[in-house]
Amino acid sequence: MLSIKDLSVAVDTKQILKGLSLDVPAGEVHAIMGPNGAGKSTLGYALAGRPNYEIKGGTVEFNGEDLLDKDVHERAAAGLYLSFQYPLEIPGVPALTFLRTALNAQKKLRGEGEVSAPEFLKRVREVAKTLKIDMDMLKRPLNVGFSGGEKKRMEVLQMALLEPKFLILDETDSGLDIDALKVVSDGVNALRAPDRGMLVITHYQRLLDHIRPDRVHVLVAGRIVRSGGPELALELEAHGYDRYLGEAA
Amino acid sequence: MTLPKTSQALDIFDPSSYPTRRDEEWKYSDLSRVLRDVPKKAMVVRTLSELEAEPDGFVYFSADEAGFEGLQAAADFAMRKAHGRLYIDGNDFGDEDGYLGYQGHGEISLAAGQSLVVFEDYTGAFDYAVHSRLRFTLGEGAKLTRVVILDEPETAVSVRQSTVETAPGSIFRQHVFATGAKFQRFETHVNHAGRDAVVEMNGAYLLKDKRHFDYTTRVTHGQVNGETAQLVKGLVKDNAAGVFQGRILVEKGADGTDARMRHQALILNDGAHIRAKPELEIYADDVQCAHGNTIGALDEEALFFCESRGIPEEVARAMLTHAFVLPVVDQIEDEVLRETVLNFLENASESFYAL
Repeated sequence: MLSIKDLSVAVDTKQILKGLSLDVPAGEVHAIMGPNGAGKSTLGYALAGRPNYEIKGGTVEFNGEDLLDKDVHERAAAGLYLSFQYPLEIPGVPALTFLRTALNAQKKLRGEGEVSAPEFLKRVREVAKTLKIDMDMLKRPLNVGFSGGEKKRMEVLQMALLEPKFLILDETDSGLDIDALKVVSDGVNALRAPDRGMLVITHYQRLLDHIRPDRVHVLVAGRIVRSGGPELALELEAHGYDRYLGEAA
Repeated sequence: MTLPKTSQALDIFDPSSYPTRRDEEWKYSDLSRVLRDVPKKAMVVRTLSELEAEPDGFVYFSADEAGFEGLQAAADFAMRKAHGRLYIDGNDFGDEDGYLGYQGHGEISLAAGQSLVVFEDYTGAFDYAVHSRLRFTLGEGAKLTRVVILDEPETAVSVRQSTVETAPGSIFRQHVFATGAKFQRFETHVNHAGRDAVVEMNGAYLLKDKRHFDYTTRVTHGQVNGETAQLVKGLVKDNAAGVFQGRILVEKGADGTDARMRHQALILNDGAHIRAKPELEIYADDVQCAHGNTIGALDEEALFFCESRGIPEEVARAMLTHAFVLPVVDQIEDEVLRETVLNFLENASESFYAL
C-alpha cells in the first residue's frame, strides 16, 4: 500500500532523512519509534508534502502511484491523512464548514458527487457522539480555544469523516490524559480495516498499548535501524534508544 | 467640523487644488500623479427618483455621478417610513477615452434621539474621477451607522470625504469595505464633541493588481468620557498598495476618553505595499488609549494544514483570507447589511485568488 524506498529529505538545507525505506501493506498498523530529532515528524510531513521539505532522493509509492509527484491536496484526495501533533487553529472558519469543504474538495478531485448538507450532518452527528464531541463545538471556528484533548478528538473526527486509505498519526498521544487517550485510540481502532494502513509515530510505548501495532520500526538519525514485532516497543521502553544512537553514528 | 485646508480646497476640476506628496496628509496617496489631465465635466441630467421603501426595508436613494441633492429628505423619509434604513446607490460612469469627472456633496442631520442606518454602495464603470463630500451631524443621543462598500473599477479615481459631528450620548459607527481602484481614498473626520459619545471606525480592504486604497480617519476628542474603537484589517497582493492613516487626537480636558485603534494587515507577496500611520495625540490627563499595528503574512502552517485535509491551495487561501477580515464584518449590527457585506467579501476573496 505504502512503499518508501531510500527516502532522503532535507529541511532548510539540513539533511534529516537519510535513505529511509519502509513498506506498510494494507490492513497493517506500523509504529515508528525513535528519539527526539530522529526525523519522525519529518517523515510524516514529507509524505504529506509540506513546503520546504525538500526530497533529495528516493521514491514513495502509494497504491501503485507516485506520491511525491502530487500536490498536498491531491495526496489527501488520494487517501493520505496526516494527523498533526499540534493541530492548527483556523480562526473564522467553523469546524463544520471546514470539514464539509475538505470532504467535498476531495470528492470533486476523485470525480465523486458532493455530499449533501443533511447527509453530511447526519454522518457528523453519529461520529461526534462516539467521540464525545458536542455539536456546539463544531459550530465554533476549528480548534480555536480548544483544549489539547479536544483538538485530538477533532483530528479523529476528521479521519472518520474523510475516510482516508492511509493514516499517519504524529504523536497523537501528546497532550492527552488517560481518558482522552482512550477515546482517541478507540476512535482510531474503529478505523482499522483490511483495506486501510496506518503509520503511528510515537516517542513512547504508552500509545501502543492502546493502538496495537503489527510491526515496530526504530528510526534513528534519519534511517530505520531495526524492525520487529510489537515486543520491540516494550524492549525500547525498557532499554531506551541509547544502543541505537551509537550504531547510527 | 470642517475638513483640513487642503481637503477643503480640493476641486477635481481645478488641478491647482490637488494635494501633492508634499502635503503630509496625502503623502502616500498622490492625487496629482494619477490625475494628470483634468477630467472632463460630464453632462449630468438628474431626475430625482421617487422615494420608495424597498423590500429589504430600505429607502432607496440614487447618488449616481455624485449627486447627493435631496439626501436629507431621503434620510428623513427613511426615518419616518423604513425603520430608519437608507440605501445610497452610487453609480459613476466614465468614458473610455479620458476621465469624466463628478463632484458633489450631501448632508444628513439627525435630530436628538433619531436613529439611522445608511448603506452606501459605490460602484461604477470605465474611467471616471469622483470627489464627494458628505456631512453628518448627530443630535443628542442620536445613532448613526454607516456601512460602505467601495466596489469600483480598477481605472477609477475616487476621493470620498466625510465629516461627522457627534453630540452628547450619541453613537456613530462606520464600517468600510474596499477593493481599491487606480486611486481610492476614503477619508472621515470625526469631531468627537459630545460627552459620553461613542464612535466606531472599522474597515477591511482586499487589494490586488495595481489597486490603491487609502483609509484615512481623524477623530478629535474634545469632550469628556468619549469612546473610540477602531478595527481595520487588510490584505494586499500583486503590486497593490494599502494606506491606513488613523489619527486620534485627545484634546486638553477630554478626560475619561477611551480610545483603541487596531490595524492588522497581511502582505501576500513582495511587490505589494502597506503604509500604516497610526497616531495617538493626547493632551488630556486621565485617558485610556491604545493602538496596535501589525503587518504580516498569511499563516503558511495553517495553509498547509488546510491543504493536507484536501482543500486546494487557492481555495484554502481564499478561506483564510475571508476568515481574516471576518471579525470586521461581525461588528455590523444590522443583519441584512452583515449578510450583504459577507457576500461582497466572499466574492472579493474568490476574485482575489481568481477562483
